[in-house]
Amino acid sequence: MIKSTFSRRSVLGAGTGLALALALTACGGNVAGNSAPSDGSKFPSGPVTLTIGAAPGGSTDLIGRALAENASAGLGAPIPVVNKPGANGALATKEVGGAKADGQTLVILNASLFAITPLAVSADEAVKIEDYEVITGISQDDYVLVTNAGSGLKTMEQLTKAGKKFNFATTGVGTGSQLAQALLFKQAGIDGTDVPFDGGAPAMTALLGNQVDVATIQLAEAMPQIKAGKLNPVVVFSKERNQYLADTPTAIEAGYDVPVSQFRAVAAPKGTPEPVLEKLRAAFKTAFASEAYKAFNKQNLFTAAENDGAQVAKDWAADAAKFKELAQKYDVDLGGGK
Amino acid sequence: MTSSSRQEAPLGTSTPHAASGTGSSAIEADPVEPLTAEQLAAEWDEERPPHAGPLANVAAGVVTALLGVAGVAMSLSMGIGTPERPEAGMWPLIISLVMAVLSVALLLFGRKTLDAEAFSSSSLQVAAGVGTLIGFVLVIGLTGFEIPTLLLTFFWLRFLGKETWRMSILLSAIVTAAFYLTFVVALSVPIPHLF
Amino acid sequence: MDIFGPVLNGFGVVLEPTNLLYCLIGVVIGMLIGVLPGLGPAATIAILLPLTYGVEPVTAIIMLSGIFYGAQYGGTITSVLLRLPGEASSVVTVFDGYALARQGRAGTALGIAAIGSFFGGTVSIIGLTLLAPIVAGFALSFGPPEYTALAMLGILLVATVSNGSKIKSIIAASVGLLLATVGRDGFTGESRFTFGSLSLSDGLDFVPIAMGIFGLGEILYNLEERHNKVQAPAKVANVWPSRKDLKESSGAIGRGSVLGFFLGILPGGGATIASLAAYAMEKKRAKNPERFGRGAVEGVAAPETANNAAATSSFIPLLTLGIPANATMAIIFGALLIQGVTPGPQLVQDNPELFWGVVNSMYIGNILLLIMSIPLVGVFVKILRIRAAILAPITVLITLIGVYTINNSIFDIWLVIAFGVLGYLMKKFGFEPGPLVLAFVLGSLLEENLRRSLLLFGGDPAGFVTRPISGVLLLLFLLVVLLPLLQKAVKKSRANRSLNTAPHKEKEKETV
Repeated sequence: MIKSTFSRRSVLGAGTGLALALALTACGGNVAGNSAPSDGSKFPSGPVTLTIGAAPGGSTDLIGRALAENASAGLGAPIPVVNKPGANGALATKEVGGAKADGQTLVILNASLFAITPLAVSADEAVKIEDYEVITGISQDDYVLVTNAGSGLKTMEQLTKAGKKFNFATTGVGTGSQLAQALLFKQAGIDGTDVPFDGGAPAMTALLGNQVDVATIQLAEAMPQIKAGKLNPVVVFSKERNQYLADTPTAIEAGYDVPVSQFRAVAAPKGTPEPVLEKLRAAFKTAFASEAYKAFNKQNLFTAAENDGAQVAKDWAADAAKFKELAQKYDVDLGGGK
Repeated sequence: MTSSSRQEAPLGTSTPHAASGTGSSAIEADPVEPLTAEQLAAEWDEERPPHAGPLANVAAGVVTALLGVAGVAMSLSMGIGTPERPEAGMWPLIISLVMAVLSVALLLFGRKTLDAEAFSSSSLQVAAGVGTLIGFVLVIGLTGFEIPTLLLTFFWLRFLGKETWRMSILLSAIVTAAFYLTFVVALSVPIPHLF
Repeated sequence: MDIFGPVLNGFGVVLEPTNLLYCLIGVVIGMLIGVLPGLGPAATIAILLPLTYGVEPVTAIIMLSGIFYGAQYGGTITSVLLRLPGEASSVVTVFDGYALARQGRAGTALGIAAIGSFFGGTVSIIGLTLLAPIVAGFALSFGPPEYTALAMLGILLVATVSNGSKIKSIIAASVGLLLATVGRDGFTGESRFTFGSLSLSDGLDFVPIAMGIFGLGEILYNLEERHNKVQAPAKVANVWPSRKDLKESSGAIGRGSVLGFFLGILPGGGATIASLAAYAMEKKRAKNPERFGRGAVEGVAAPETANNAAATSSFIPLLTLGIPANATMAIIFGALLIQGVTPGPQLVQDNPELFWGVVNSMYIGNILLLIMSIPLVGVFVKILRIRAAILAPITVLITLIGVYTINNSIFDIWLVIAFGVLGYLMKKFGFEPGPLVLAFVLGSLLEENLRRSLLLFGGDPAGFVTRPISGVLLLLFLLVVLLPLLQKAVKKSRANRSLNTAPHKEKEKETV
């Protein structure tokens, strides 16, 4: 497949007849690749494509677009966003991993793809963080365990004492929502049935309609219903309390070893020259500092997690190991069946 | 003229027929309206391609039956599980079984139904058309979309559409330019392009 | 609950310039493809799906639905002027429409058809407006078991009500259901039918399948078409029907609206059946039924009113229950899913702007169509001269490049070609493409909710029957299965009594 490596286009607003003539001279094709010097002095040599392994509209897409918009000025090149959904992002991630390591093609990484999905799918579908140059962490998106307000259940203590079997809704197989709940219920000794839904919205609808007893969904999705008093937040699964839901304890505070959050980072193919990475890092730093980007985070209830790339890679690898250990220890199988 | 209408033709002709009963014969001599529903139906029927004969349904039945059997085999390898704890293969197994059983039913009872169309020499045009599409996708990644677009349009106009040489050359150039302007210049779609 | 607030807000949504523009674009495209030979509304909507990708969901659906009901207007024009129905739903209009045209009253026929269409469409929108909030009241009672029952009912109805052989329809539907299982299983994480390809691990996308089977399949099929004899269209003089014509057809318009509305709601029903039924009904009611086929104005008014009423009311099951009633609705269902909107009982509450925006856009669209269709008939007649040979490569390229733009994936182009060939072969072998696409759309909904329900019930299927809504739906399902068998038995006993009609019956069976 062809990467958009080089093209200058779309400054043409003139009449169409004229535009064609201009287009032929002003537009570079994107078929033939051109080689870039490895010292990064020529970087960026055209638009830097940011690949997103999710469909437009989801939180990964929103984050990618907000970042691209605010970083392109600092980089001195446009950052077009290309959505390539497929296999929870594995498709796009693998594709960028095999792209030319010149910094012109980047990808947004989801931590769950490296740390949680491998627990649910076969080994050859899994992706490894070592195969990427992580430029910088972006942000953290927290999961919250909610119950229907009508049930009156507000704390973990009430849940454990309820003495009944719970149907818990997850946002899908191999997601943080599933892992967090499965671990929590096993540790708390609650008898639960894992009911996977296709994303957060249907899981929440099922909870609101009392089709299931509890659900774990991403904070931004649950917040409107929590504020409206229709859902009770029980615990959040982040390591520390979430700034947007400061009154809700973490699972760890409630006494359960379940630290699960969705982290995101931006990465380039392995072997991208250090000077290029440096330029990219600086551009994203400027973006993080901009008011527009901060407002975006606040509006979507994301917590900044703008750690250094090397640290991110280390953290995610550690998370992957920890989840694997926890899953074995508590005999949690995300593959549902078996 | 449209395929959708032709496909509906039997339905369209049967209802007025049923509703009119013998009434339609009364207007046969009418000079203003020489065309009754029946005649129109007959005319549409003539335009329909010839029936393919009973072998077509046998062939279709065999193909879908094989699909069903393959589906059963693959589903079994995925694991079935129990009704309480179904594995991944349970649902595809059920569908594949339904498909296989109905295919056998088609083989047994559907042979007399003449609802398939015979292939004719003009079916080769379709094959040629598909060939150009495959060629189009094969080269689009190497050369960008402009040259294959030009060639495909030209081929369809000149050889499948029997347009004149002049018309075909002119139109294919215009179409290619229009696509370039729409997708590359106006919409900035990251499609492989040469210019 | 405040009902009128959201409805009025919906008008606000429609009257935004962008939405008005897209509504106009939609109905114009609809009228064009109604007039042009070859592509039907389902194929056109499938081909244009990628272009709606970048716009707001409400705008996209306003345009796509405009194409659908606009085509009902356009199809009339060729029926009347050329004796060739532009759309299946205008087949019966040919009988009296063309007769009128030969009497030099083509204008009257077109005018009455436009007025009837407007009236029928409007009646259905009002029905939709009144009915939707009632259904939406049950929204939260719809859990996995209810969706399971709904999806089963929807697939069954479409497979059995379609025109072709029933066995073939159900085989096509099961192919659709199997295609829906491709990809990673949402419950166990196991890959199914992916053959190790990562491109398949998220399953097959709806768009390449719809674009292939409906769009490319239809184009390939038309390549083979041999008859190119397009006659010179009849002259159109005065398009304003006289007061007498209006008076004669007012009853037919009224009855056609009501009949069309109800037939459109039924899954598997829709515009074609409604137009046939309305024509038959008028003929039965008429004092001099022999006028029909010789230029009766009612013979144009009734089917054209009914097909538009049905086209509009077929949105009701889609928007309120999430069950597409016909192939075109299946594609609009897919378009909504792509936009991140799940049609269903929750739609009215979760997405009032979208729901009422789309519903109210139909008022505007129908007014636009009425305004355009009468004075612009001449323009559309000219467009009829465009040759199919020229349109074919253009639509093919729009299909191929269009599908690429959605996921920027060459793989999707391969899929379109593969499904295009499949769609062509299905047509040749007498398989309806509708049930396949519909079953594909509903397939994962059905499987997931079935398995989810069983998880919730702890594996006990009795839960489906004891819940009121799903119980009723399953009862309906049984009725639909058993009714034709009963009818057949009754017919058989009757046929045995009167043997003299047997040859006629035999002929009819071919199409069943």
